Amino acid sequence: MDVSQYLDVFIDETKEHLQNLSDCIMTLEREPENMDTINEIFRAAHSLKGMAGTMGFKRMQHLTHDMENVFQEVRSGNKNVTSGLVDILFRCLDALDVYLENIQNTSDEGTDDNASIIKELNDILNGDDDDLDGEAAPEEASQEDTAQETMSEGAVKGDLRQLTDKDKEAIREAIGKELHVYGITACVNEDCMLKAARAFLVFKAAEEFGTILAQTPSAQDIEDENFELSFTFYLAAKESEEPIVAAAKAVSEIAEVTCREILAEELDEKPETEAAADTEQEHEAEAVQPPAAVNAIVESAAPGKPEKAAQSAGKKQAANKPVTSRTVRVDIEKLDAVMNQVSELIIAKNSLVSISTSEGESMNNQAFHDQIESLERITTDLHESVMKVRMVPIESVVNKFPRMIRDLSKKLDKKMELYMSGEDTELDRTVVDQIGDPLQHLLRNSADHGLENAELRKERGKPETGMIRLNAFQEGNNVIIEVSDDGGGIDTEAVKNKAIERGIITREQSETMSQKEIIDLLFMPSFSMAKKITDVSGRGVGLDVVKSNIEALGGDVEVASTIGEGSKFTVRLPLTLAIIQALMVEIRDGKYAIALGSIQKIESISVNEIKYVQAEEVINIRGQVIPLIRVDNILDLEPKEEEEENLTVVIVKKGEKSAGLVVDNLIGQQEIVIKSLGKYIENNKIISGATILGDGEVALILDVNTLL
Amino acid sequence: MANVIVENDAKQYIVVRLGDEQYGIDIRYIDNIVRMQKITRVPKVQPYFRGIIHLRGEIVPVMSICTKMGLPNNEITNDSRIIILKIEAQGLIGIIVDEVKEVVTLASAEIDKVTHNTKDEKSNFINGVGKHEGELISLFDLNSVVGEKEAV
Repeated sequence: MDVSQYLDVFIDETKEHLQNLSDCIMTLEREPENMDTINEIFRAAHSLKGMAGTMGFKRMQHLTHDMENVFQEVRSGNKNVTSGLVDILFRCLDALDVYLENIQNTSDEGTDDNASIIKELNDILNGDDDDLDGEAAPEEASQEDTAQETMSEGAVKGDLRQLTDKDKEAIREAIGKELHVYGITACVNEDCMLKAARAFLVFKAAEEFGTILAQTPSAQDIEDENFELSFTFYLAAKESEEPIVAAAKAVSEIAEVTCREILAEELDEKPETEAAADTEQEHEAEAVQPPAAVNAIVESAAPGKPEKAAQSAGKKQAANKPVTSRTVRVDIEKLDAVMNQVSELIIAKNSLVSISTSEGESMNNQAFHDQIESLERITTDLHESVMKVRMVPIESVVNKFPRMIRDLSKKLDKKMELYMSGEDTELDRTVVDQIGDPLQHLLRNSADHGLENAELRKERGKPETGMIRLNAFQEGNNVIIEVSDDGGGIDTEAVKNKAIERGIITREQSETMSQKEIIDLLFMPSFSMAKKITDVSGRGVGLDVVKSNIEALGGDVEVASTIGEGSKFTVRLPLTLAIIQALMVEIRDGKYAIALGSIQKIESISVNEIKYVQAEEVINIRGQVIPLIRVDNILDLEPKEEEEENLTVVIVKKGEKSAGLVVDNLIGQQEIVIKSLGKYIENNKIISGATILGDGEVALILDVNTLL
Repeated sequence: MANVIVENDAKQYIVVRLGDEQYGIDIRYIDNIVRMQKITRVPKVQPYFRGIIHLRGEIVPVMSICTKMGLPNNEITNDSRIIILKIEAQGLIGIIVDEVKEVVTLASAEIDKVTHNTKDEKSNFINGVGKHEGELISLFDLNSVVGEKEAV
């Protein structure tokens, strides 16, 4: 079955389920008794497994299957939720994430079996973990050698559940042909060096008597030695069990062989959890080696081949671009709105056509103007709707953070809690995609540098558990995301000394610097305050990257900090990238656009008011001294022949900084569509793009951030 | 139609004039030819970029191939045109030519390959010379025409 067309849906939904799982497991850790959460987890894990199975991602399915088994135990009350369990579950999620990423990039899940995680899951199932619930599964695993009888019962029966329908069908068929079907579990010596070879010999011995119908773990896993001490296979034979067991035991380094006849009824005992477990992939894999082809196993240990071929095919694909495109899920209501506006647009166009063909001058003019007005309204609405379609809540990015903070808390051995608000704040998809990394950096920074350890916090009279806040909200045409902590704040003296030590500033300079300027030093490339390099932060590739990433999105980042009380990073991002409100100005004969968001006010200044500070022109506006920037100079334009008495100055600000831009003329406010200058022109940064005006003329967009 | 012979190795070139010389541009890379229009100057860019123009809702950078090759600057006349090239994924780019003359078909036998002569800057942008009706046409190597390298 070709399932590639469902790949996009699969990836989307898997992401959702994984996120859901992560959230629920977090909740579960806090409220281990919450049945609703457990059920929710169970459902999510189950759907994941089903989907992975249908798509033929066998390893993914395998892992989720084992996870599900653990949840099953938790649900039925046989297991308690412990921190260790949660850790393992999170590692499962990470592994699933890796699979998903592989699938997204290459449409193949990769070759990592994550055997260690699976083993740990099974250990939990078998009661080997450190929780106190000792009676959960006493017979299995730990007592393999002594209680073989019970073990084989348990194991064979347990393994029956792991069979696919296809295998079961084969077994049923064999029983139908009046053959005996034995479930044989063999156990190799603990110190056995070549488990796979021993298993192979056992299979070979068994095949003297009949046909191997199925095996768990799979032939591939056995070949790769991907199994614990025991393995089970199903043999259809005419003989009674004794000679078979004897033959299997004759293989050296085989500790135990247990055998049990499988009856047809047992096959139908299907625990509910298994219902959706069957996979196309398994069918295919098994189909390549049906009972008749069992010789292949004997002669060349070939069962792995079909899968390997599939893998190499997958690898070839890996060289190509990601196989899925970026998508936005759109609320159908939003699409309906767009559709409606488009139909209005068509009506307006038709009216215009009919006006142009009808006769009578005076009538025309009135109707014409009406239509133009309605056109204007429709296009504005349409723009708004389309923008809305592109907007997604930042939730998709931030909801992985609680998990990250939990991990950091363990890693750094600090107690901390993340509080988030405003996750439903919406941003343009392109911005949301790129804001994740910078925010992650900031949170790590808060966790590592910001928060003190528990003792120090106690000493300072703060609650032991540190607090990190992530708050997002919309403010005008911007979205603000604040990351704050109640830690130690930024020690400006330390920063200063470090900067001097690194030769970034001189001692003299440092004396005249304001607090804010010193804090800004943190954003310099390769400036790290961490005393020792940890893998959390401290490599000096933190804040400068954050800053440049955010600036690339047209935003900026600011820090406010009070020593002893904590610090707050404020990230400001434009709501959308493509269309902005701008002030159009004229400088000589060129038209330029300045983003309205960065404009504070517009002043008319007489030439006499210009003062000089360090040979730089400044103006004093109501007590505030701000530098004057001659834009024409920067743009290499011809100076004016005659300076006018009064200058038009557009006051712009970026964070705390302001400056006055001298322009020749104001044209007015306009909504402009930002176009890139293309790849050929070397980016000079003063011009961030261009826009096409109503008359077809091109205007350049001045980037205030670089001018300041 | 029977006497139309399609030559597999023949390519079509648009012949343009730059100063007194004739150059050929492979027709496959030409998106459009537009009349001279107002070019909006962009400050602080490579000197051979004249600026940007508006073409069907897109912004297209325009460069002077003459400046890039170290020839005297184009004189803008009524015959001047902007040839819009489309080269792979890099988007559109316009080059200014003094006149667009005709379309010629050159078989590979009619093209002499040129080897790069480092002393002659112009030849860095040429990858062949075509002979057509007794005239010589220098054929642009478009990748180096739009590329970063500039004649010094």
